[in-house]
Amino acid sequence: MKYILLMSGTSAGVEAYHAWPKEDIEAHMAVLWRINQDLTESGEFVATQGLAGPREAKVVRGEKNGVPVTDGIFPESKEFLLGYWIVDVPNAERAYAIAGRISAASTNIPIEVRQFATYETKS
Amino acid sequence: MKYILMMNTMRAGHGVPEWPQKDLRTHIAFMMSLNKELRESGELVSAEGLSFPEQARLVRAGKNGAPVTDGVFPESKEFLAGYWIVDVDSAERAYAIAAKASAAPGPGGAPLNMPIEVRPIMSGPPLEML
Repeated sequence: MKYILLMSGTSAGVEAYHAWPKEDIEAHMAVLWRINQDLTESGEFVATQGLAGPREAKVVRGEKNGVPVTDGIFPESKEFLLGYWIVDVPNAERAYAIAGRISAASTNIPIEVRQFATYETKS
Repeated sequence: MKYILMMNTMRAGHGVPEWPQKDLRTHIAFMMSLNKELRESGELVSAEGLSFPEQARLVRAGKNGAPVTDGVFPESKEFLAGYWIVDVDSAERAYAIAAKASAAPGPGGAPLNMPIEVRPIMSGPPLEML
């Protein structure tokens, strides 16, 4: 079963992270790197991505005369996706265990765990 | 350049929309045709739908490293319903695709004009962090 592990945070949180001492950021990156390595070796790794910061985010709604309507102003409290991991694991517990490890490596930030939808034909 | 287009349209407690069957089918057919178009233009990297929020859990590391799970979310929380990752020449092209997805047909076939969040994907950690 495939699960996506979502790491989210606010703009203020991202700025605080960028202000960490360089060696702390390096240590954090090294642990995340190690987790990716372990998941690759266990065959559970599907994909991982980091997203560019909230300043480059836009929300698009429909279009007017063929031009997309974009907006880049967000409330301070808005949570942005910072990055995600997709894993293919036998059960939810295993997905939670991986999320726990990522959380522990990242100042216990909560990680949202969601299963991918499997489409069924309904009669 | 890679962009992620996110449909943050789900709320806790909501499942499959209660639309007439015909409208649901039209909506799904539209999404499948959009994916086909993006696959044919070579711009689609991946597209996935996520299961409904009642299966979502927040996980934190507890003491001794065991995961601590929580399934209670504030009512205002937005849940990711699905996403597309596209590889396109410019942000404008990503916005145009997002606008198309935004206008997917809803009840009665009217465009939903749902908000789609568009974000560049980093190909690696920022250089200053390496």
